[in-house]
Amino acid sequence: MISSLADRHDLAAGARAMAPWLLGIVPFGLVIGLSAAQADIPTLAGWLTGPLIYAGSAQVATIQMLDAGAAPIVVVVAALVINIRLLLYSATMAPYWRGTPWWWRLLAAYLLIDPSLAVGLDGYERLADQHRAHVRYLGGAVLLWASWLAAISVGATVGVGLPAWLHLEFVIPLFLVGEAVPKLANPALRRAILAAATVALLALSAPLHLGIALAIAAGIAAGLTAQPAVSARSAHPLQHTTEALR
Amino acid sequence: MNAWIVILAAGLGSYLFRLSAIVLIDRIAMPAYLQRASRLVAPAAFAALAATGVAAACTGLGITQAAAPLAAVAAAVIAVLRTGSSYAAILIGMPTLWITTSLLSH
Repeated sequence: MISSLADRHDLAAGARAMAPWLLGIVPFGLVIGLSAAQADIPTLAGWLTGPLIYAGSAQVATIQMLDAGAAPIVVVVAALVINIRLLLYSATMAPYWRGTPWWWRLLAAYLLIDPSLAVGLDGYERLADQHRAHVRYLGGAVLLWASWLAAISVGATVGVGLPAWLHLEFVIPLFLVGEAVPKLANPALRRAILAAATVALLALSAPLHLGIALAIAAGIAAGLTAQPAVSARSAHPLQHTTEALR
Repeated sequence: MNAWIVILAAGLGSYLFRLSAIVLIDRIAMPAYLQRASRLVAPAAFAALAATGVAAACTGLGITQAAAPLAAVAAAVIAVLRTGSSYAAILIGMPTLWITTSLLSH
């Protein structure tokens, strides 16, 4: 599929389009690598969330919940609920990948996540030639994948050797607070965040760490009670996601 | 052992989500309420994990010692509101934690 000089040009164009996204995802990957090194699971297992789950928020939730000793099924369900948006992304890209070879669909789907969706969609809207748009998607998506895994690796390597008094285990809660605070400006998200945090604290002693799952459910329910914003009718799924590899 | 299986299962499930519509080809019309709900999941999960993470950092500490993580969170919230950057939470929160922890232990 990648053969000519023109293909190399499109690969590079995709990589260039991805570059701004890397500013957001590299620090996130470093934080996930740190948390994998600090958590009470093998560091390699934490690192594997990168190539296997390949979605930042689900990776954070998986590592944190395993570290807390949550029941396996609860962790898997929580990670999959967080990743339910991938169904939407799959549906968004399906029309462009109709009729492509199986190996391409298996590979392109594997690389599908918020930034690659954005760069890919941009290419399909911009380029009339489907083949060129595929190559452009691949260029951006592979650069994203490599950068993500590299960032997690660096975070995990650095995180293993640092002293305990640094309390690096507190980096993740702070990171999550940092992610939540700007979202408080949106009424639906504010309800979701406050309800989830409250239920999580009330259910701290719930068995199997079901409290986190309960809290997520309560947050979604509370958020749905808010009036949908006018822009929620938009067809573009990415307008509502944040900047990084969520 | 469990951790490996959990990560493998979550990874496999996520991959099947990614493949779903691409393999089924026809565009799955996702109900509007599900689209709204899917945007709430990550913020709700982050808030729940943040709350339990902060609580875990405070448990086992005395009343005065527990003030350190709480001060760090307060400083982080102010930093994010001031700068608009999520990573300010870590850049300001961690030093606040170190300073308040060392002050409170003397």
